[in-house]
Amino acid sequence: MKTIFLITLLFPFAALAADYTLVIKEHRFEPAELIVPSGVKIKLVIDNQDATPEEFDSHALNREKAIAANSRITLYLGPLEAGRYPFDGELHEDTARGVLIVR
Amino acid sequence: MLFARINYSQLRQLLEVIFLWCLCVPLVYAGAADYVYTTAIEQGERELGVKLGAAAPVAGAGQQVAGIGLGYGVTDHWFTELYLKQEHNGGARATLAEWENKWLFTETGQYLLDAGLLAELEVPLSGAAPWELRVGPLLQKEIGKFQLNGNLLFVRAFGMPDESGVPYTTNLACQWQVKYRWKPALEFGMQGLGEMGTWNHWSPVASQNHRMGPAVFGKIALGNRQAIKYNAAWLVGVSAAAPAHTLRSQLEYEF
Repeated sequence: MKTIFLITLLFPFAALAADYTLVIKEHRFEPAELIVPSGVKIKLVIDNQDATPEEFDSHALNREKAIAANSRITLYLGPLEAGRYPFDGELHEDTARGVLIVR
Repeated sequence: MLFARINYSQLRQLLEVIFLWCLCVPLVYAGAADYVYTTAIEQGERELGVKLGAAAPVAGAGQQVAGIGLGYGVTDHWFTELYLKQEHNGGARATLAEWENKWLFTETGQYLLDAGLLAELEVPLSGAAPWELRVGPLLQKEIGKFQLNGNLLFVRAFGMPDESGVPYTTNLACQWQVKYRWKPALEFGMQGLGEMGTWNHWSPVASQNHRMGPAVFGKIALGNRQAIKYNAAWLVGVSAAAPAHTLRSQLEYEF
């Protein structure tokens, strides 16, 4: 019984996710406000089109991830409750700011 | 190079925090600096960390542990850290090196649970002590603003024979944590550490070591990808073999 329990924990079940994309261009997020539905898992692709690296940071979303220059990362978020979830690019905080709006 | 990107005021604050942290240890008689491992890994992140722990005596022998370490996120899925630590067990003193490696097998949030693996090797640098290896799965789950962690660790000493002549066994330990992510600078929750005995033949409950209690966590951003992170817990012994009180803490400068 213990063995079955451990194996179950080590091989988590996949969950469905809807796709959304954020672009980083000239150290800004586009769109700066992204609207997504509540109660479902979100697959968020962040496409850094700048020639410099960035770091996605959001305490509200509990994510912190480096993005190399001219590359993409994928974040899996939620299911989220309705609300506003701010995020920023830690390496260009003055301009790289955005909000995930969950409705 | 390390301090080139922080100003004098930030450096002074950092040193003050570290100094106050160090002062706290002798206030509680003894303890272990073990902490709950999480699956959080960030590529390129460097951490300079201090960990301190003190536990009340069990059978007349208290313990104090202090360590300093340097960690690096090699990839999004592999973090490695080297600690140098000193342990005081009653009258005995030992200096140890600890090499911690964490791997994350899943993307955070992709599956029902985030799953990783810990492998940590502890090597004595002074005194007569065996080497110790800790290996086990790390699991994490987010539910709204709560973050849950649960780890199972298989612990095995090897190398130098035990003084009593009893052969080493592979022991099982567990860790758990519930954290409410209130604000970046202050998160709080509960955490617990347990040692059950031999992995396939647990010790009687009275001989197991289980501790649990409140914990605080936080991160203070300094800008330019720098931050100070902390976590601390006051663990109360909930089994006869556990220290009555343990105060453990960890302070990290992230750069």
